[in-house]
Amino acid sequence: MAASPLPTSGTREFIEYVARMLVRSDDDIHLTESVEGNVVVYTLKLPSDEVGRVIGREGRIIRSIRSLLRAAAARQGARIVLEVE
Amino acid sequence: MDGHSVEVQGRTTEEAIGKALDQLGVTRDEVEIEVLTEGRAGVFGVGSHEALVRVTVATDDFDEDEEIDAGDAATDSADAELARETLERMLDLLDFANLVTVRTTQRERGLTTIALDVAGEDMGLLIGRHGETLASLQFLLNTCLSRQLSRSTRILVDIEHYRDRREQSLRGIAVRAAERARRERRPVTLQPMPPSERRVIHLALQSSTWVTTESTGEGSERRVVISPKPTAAPRRANYGYSRGSRG
Repeated sequence: MAASPLPTSGTREFIEYVARMLVRSDDDIHLTESVEGNVVVYTLKLPSDEVGRVIGREGRIIRSIRSLLRAAAARQGARIVLEVE
Repeated sequence: MDGHSVEVQGRTTEEAIGKALDQLGVTRDEVEIEVLTEGRAGVFGVGSHEALVRVTVATDDFDEDEEIDAGDAATDSADAELARETLERMLDLLDFANLVTVRTTQRERGLTTIALDVAGEDMGLLIGRHGETLASLQFLLNTCLSRQLSRSTRILVDIEHYRDRREQSLRGIAVRAAERARRERRPVTLQPMPPSERRVIHLALQSSTWVTTESTGEGSERRVVISPKPTAAPRRANYGYSRGSRG
């Protein structure tokens, strides 16, 4: 594989790894990714009753996930966006 | 800290809550708040009384009546290993070459504290501004493992002794600012800090003879103000002169 500045595979696995620990039924996790320039957008699709487990009270859990993704992306000069729906 | 509770007074309910959050070193979304007495301003102070609130650090699904599963030493060390592996895996996936070690596993009054240390490259990035990324990492690890670990177990994460070093430098900041407040006899306002750092400042100066501390401002703009106590360090030259004699 050509050297990519984008931290795709590990990042993807990180989001899935964390999501699996947070939700009750880990079969229902669907993660898609799209790349635009140096921005990678991940969309995590969950059953509606599981979304809260990844968002957390007042968004605290998703904020901490995003803050870690930001730190990882900064090393590669990329930007990672994570949406949950 | 979970389940930790304080009762605090203030002129208003808001002020009392703010003080309590500072004492606990946490943010508002981490606590349960009970207003025990509403504050009342009164007319010219007549009939006024202070607000009293009880603020408790919340644990999700925490049930006070539930028997705490204290576990045993073998459970603790298995938990420590699970926490260590999970953290190492997270950092590995985020592409931070790292080494996670268990610093201590401590049991105190039925509470188990697992302290993990991270060492590796680019740790400054992982610590973040004012340790914000490190705080996220610790919070996320505790949340992810909350169902697998006993509810009386808490994981602390430190990176190359950042927390110790930061605490020491915060204490230095507190002492120097207190000195200045005392010398110049005026309040000194520090930089905005997260709750955990403001707590270090309050604790460092809580037994000071010369100054008092309180926080002002909201959210990420909240800062500690260090004020001289009214009775602090009267200048000898002033002794015997009436107040305001020099205009």
